[in-house]
Amino acid sequence: MAQESFDKEIQFLRMLALTGSAYNRQQYAQRLGISIHTFDKMMKRLKTIAGTTGPRNSRSAEGGRDMTEMVRYSYLDSSDPLLLFLFRAKSLKDSESERLSILIAAMGENSLTAMELLDAASESMPAELPLPDEKTIRGDLKYLESVGAIIKEPGPRPYRYRLWRGFAEALDYDELLDLYDFTDMMANTQLPSIQGYLLRDNLGRLLQGAGADGALLYKYHYYSRILDEAHLFNVFRAIEKRRRVSFLYFSPKRDISYTSQNTNPLYEKEAAVKRQTVLPLKVVYDHQYGRWYLLAWCGKQGIKKFRLEGVTGLQEEDAVSPAFMEEKLQLLELRIRDSWLLDTGRKVLVRAKFFKPGPGIPDFVKERVQHQGGWGVITEESIEDFIYEIEVNGILEIKPWLRSFGSSCEVLEPGQLRDELIQEWKELADYYESF
Amino acid sequence: MNPFEKIFNYQLLSRLEDRGACLISSHERAWLKSMLNHPAASEAFLPGTLAKLQSILQDEAEMHWESHLIHKAASREVMVYHPLIRQLRRAIQGGYALTISFTLKNGETRVEHHAFPYKLEYSMVKREWYLLWLSRNKRKVMSTRLNKISAVKRHAEPLSPELAAARASEAEAGLAAAAVYAEIAVIPAYNGELSRILYAFSCFERDVRYDAEKDEYIIKLNYSQNETEFVLSRLRFLGKRVRVVTGDRLIQRMRQTAAWALARYEASTTEASPDG
Repeated sequence: MAQESFDKEIQFLRMLALTGSAYNRQQYAQRLGISIHTFDKMMKRLKTIAGTTGPRNSRSAEGGRDMTEMVRYSYLDSSDPLLLFLFRAKSLKDSESERLSILIAAMGENSLTAMELLDAASESMPAELPLPDEKTIRGDLKYLESVGAIIKEPGPRPYRYRLWRGFAEALDYDELLDLYDFTDMMANTQLPSIQGYLLRDNLGRLLQGAGADGALLYKYHYYSRILDEAHLFNVFRAIEKRRRVSFLYFSPKRDISYTSQNTNPLYEKEAAVKRQTVLPLKVVYDHQYGRWYLLAWCGKQGIKKFRLEGVTGLQEEDAVSPAFMEEKLQLLELRIRDSWLLDTGRKVLVRAKFFKPGPGIPDFVKERVQHQGGWGVITEESIEDFIYEIEVNGILEIKPWLRSFGSSCEVLEPGQLRDELIQEWKELADYYESF
Repeated sequence: MNPFEKIFNYQLLSRLEDRGACLISSHERAWLKSMLNHPAASEAFLPGTLAKLQSILQDEAEMHWESHLIHKAASREVMVYHPLIRQLRRAIQGGYALTISFTLKNGETRVEHHAFPYKLEYSMVKREWYLLWLSRNKRKVMSTRLNKISAVKRHAEPLSPELAAARASEAEAGLAAAAVYAEIAVIPAYNGELSRILYAFSCFERDVRYDAEKDEYIIKLNYSQNETEFVLSRLRFLGKRVRVVTGDRLIQRMRQTAAWALARYEASTTEASPDG
């Protein structure tokens, strides 16, 4: 079955989540490489979905709000991830969703045979929708069984099916609440998270809303990261099967982040992004910015890095041999073992002096260095300061972190990094001189 | 595992809700099974519950994504769960007041303070849990690390629903009163890095303005006064890419930091040079 692609919606929602109301319709459409008409259509559809599934306990759930308002991040409302509704966007005919809901509800009460389910569906289907036939019901059962929603009971034909209700059957209220909280914590703090958020929603239903009171909040959360999980599982699957993938890549530095796949000559020129084929090796999550990367083997060009958010139209291609895959994986691991993020450049020793905040003040500087400083070590320490050393690929990626300590950090080595930071502090001093 | 399955569809979901049914797929169960391997699981569940879950999920497939995923620049994970959470979240849910004993940042201890628990908050930066609570006297929202709380006693009777709601709105008002904002301009020469810059601020409540004529982006950041240090570290992190245009305190601090950092470098350069 061809997978419905949500590339356009993902690119738009990300843009909306990051820039809020910064652009007008025309500017959005232009940046997405689609016509205003297509943009309006997409907007209408997303609004409908967000309106139906939107956060339950949220101020933004009120009707009639525009999309920007709906997607605007509000900390106290953040217990329901706003962008999760994207994963509920798979299109389904009215008759199908009605029929599936009837079947699932019926199997929640009793275990039933296909024929009994056919009767139940024929009885409950609204008059305006077409009645299902046996083949359709059998197809539904096969699908629901394949996604683990229902179980075929052991026994002779005709087979009986029932809804999977393991949690509701085995756990009492208190245990369900603990499960809800655990799911909430893991979805928010671990990766990947989509299935966790979906599960959390369902557990909230089992608790009849009692768990979903927003009692747990997560501060400094990159909430738009779940959009990038859309491609994640396809990439994981390709890695597992040692398959190359091809995609259209829109670097985040470009002005447009998507182009319509239609043949409208108006947009033909912009569609000139070339499909590239690569062997995916690893996915990297950068906690500093909350961004995902794909690291892949690209033949003559060696190992290349792609921002996962720039990947659209992902397709699986041919497989490579286990030996080839293993060789490239080992190469990659060697190259990025000492990268602060992804730099595969030459290894350098960075030495920096960190200054303690002073007597009587808790040493938050050291605490932070130990907390975030990775594999670096503190080699010397006095009452006033300490020396931190780390061997890292290149100086570019660690620089922002060192700079974030302000005057509590002085880089000693290498000289180039030290000089660059002095220069940057001079420029920053100029930025604020006029105030 | 396709996250866009038919069973997740929004119309199906709302129809199931109407019919009072709930569907949990093997995708979700496989995810949970893998998460139960995390050390936090043994704290988050009572032993009996954990055993039940493991038995319910025993036939599920496990997701083996860890081997394909690399985490970079992550803070050390101090905790994901804290043993006090079970008790505190139930107190919040039931509208109970508490008596708590805890240690302050400066090491002083506070014994048996009356506290109305408002929310539990996890900092993705510090990787720790905090309790946000309202004290009876000060009507100010306090934030205390769960690690610093030495004793919690729940009052025997819950507050009346009206009183609990009133306390919660007081807490909300307290937080709103501590809110400040600043405006940060992205230096147009760095617009190519816009996505990175916006990601770096995406963990705050904010608005972005775009001036098409100047091709300039202004980020209006809303934050709480006690988050100033974190905002400053983000600004220093981004360096020359951004400039604070509104927000006296941030501007003054950035100017001071630049001057102090330069003084540090100058002092040690002079020290190291034989010519003095």
